[in-house]
Amino acid sequence: MPAGHGQRARTRDLFARPFRKKGPTHLSTYLRIYKIGEYVDVKVNGSIHKGMPHKFYHGRTGRVWNVTKRAIGVEVNKQVGNRIIKKRIHVRVEHVQPSRCHEEVLLRIKKNDQLKAEAKAQGKIISTKRKPEGPKPGFMVEGATLETVTPIPYDVVNDLKGGY
Amino acid sequence: MAFVKAQKTKAYFKRFQVKFKRRRAGKTDYRARIRLINQDKNKYNTPKYRFVVRFTNKDIVAQVVSATIAGDVVLAAAYAHELPRYGLEVGLTNYAAAYCTGLLLARRVLKTLEMDDEYQGNLEATGEDYSVEPADSRRPFRALLDVGLLKTTTGNRVFGALKGALDGGLDIPHSDKRFAGFSKDSKQLDAEVHRKYIYGGHVSSYMMNLMEDEPEKYQTHFSRYVKKGLEADNLEQLYKKVHAAIRADPTAKKSEKQPPKQHKRYNLKKLTYEERKAKLIERLNALNAAAGADEDDDDDEDE
Repeated sequence: MPAGHGQRARTRDLFARPFRKKGPTHLSTYLRIYKIGEYVDVKVNGSIHKGMPHKFYHGRTGRVWNVTKRAIGVEVNKQVGNRIIKKRIHVRVEHVQPSRCHEEVLLRIKKNDQLKAEAKAQGKIISTKRKPEGPKPGFMVEGATLETVTPIPYDVVNDLKGGY
Repeated sequence: MAFVKAQKTKAYFKRFQVKFKRRRAGKTDYRARIRLINQDKNKYNTPKYRFVVRFTNKDIVAQVVSATIAGDVVLAAAYAHELPRYGLEVGLTNYAAAYCTGLLLARRVLKTLEMDDEYQGNLEATGEDYSVEPADSRRPFRALLDVGLLKTTTGNRVFGALKGALDGGLDIPHSDKRFAGFSKDSKQLDAEVHRKYIYGGHVSSYMMNLMEDEPEKYQTHFSRYVKKGLEADNLEQLYKKVHAAIRADPTAKKSEKQPPKQHKRYNLKKLTYEERKAKLIERLNALNAAAGADEDDDDDEDE
């Protein structure tokens, strides 16, 4: 029989539930809320058969563009030939997790807002820009003993003693 | 002894997947819970309230709960053991007491949300199917009945509590199919029978039966009723008074609790990490000190 190319072809392991995590999904999956513009990871939950994305999107991260009763609209990048298309898919909430890719940015925004507010109160001007790591500063080498190593002249007799 | 092959090997335990804790305890039906809690995503943070009714052997618990990731939050709760405050001292787990508990919870919730004037509910309990009419200003308080793990047969006490909450003014989607007094043949709710149950009529008739046929059994079975002087006839007016008292003042009363007694400790208290480290350092120091003293003696021997 020829190989099939159905929607769920070759997903035996991809959509399988992890070891000892089969059965009902925990409630926090259903209690999370998603707002438009947030970043989410698409990760298929094989035990929920409705609203499953195609296997291509498993492991992709995208932005939320729509929120419906039980599903989220996610905008994911897909390379088609020589270009990248933004594809809009609808996925049930069981197949979606909030992404932490953006977490660091959001924390930094909050921290910067706080720093700017403090600086404004004090009347100072600060720069909240990130700086890349520069070259290491110079340092003195401590606790080093000097050992001068010189080559010894080649001694034919001794070297050949081993056998030749 | 005969050779028995070990049934539960180490491999069995390694592969064993435990069910959720509350499922292992047999307390939560997760299939039902998922469906009760699931809120439309386009309603974002709007809470979805459940009207939870649970029966123990001697008490009834009615709560209005909403779910969060950190845990369920109880908006208001009413227990059958609060009913003595309103004048009902005996029969705290029967259909009539369930009605009173549901009514108490409903009035309590509406009072905390300051909706109790708008939504009076059904002032006279007739046993007919009653649903709250939406008033002009706010929509009624909506909750979904959560029965838990019990069998929803017609005439179950949980539906008595449901009826109490409905008459109290809550909006709970329901049908009259499971109220006491619904007959399968005529497919209709007999409001008279339901009213009888709400006012403890079924208990009264049993009391009258026993008094006639087996007076000794009546004395043992209904001893607490006898002690309070409750007869089969005055049950209905007792419940009417309780309903009125509940509507008058549904606010919860904080009970005064003594701080628990300190008991003598019979086992050793577990040490904290710092305490254990400190003990170890002490022991090592003591050992070193002793070893230092011994070394001087041993050195001569070893040598």
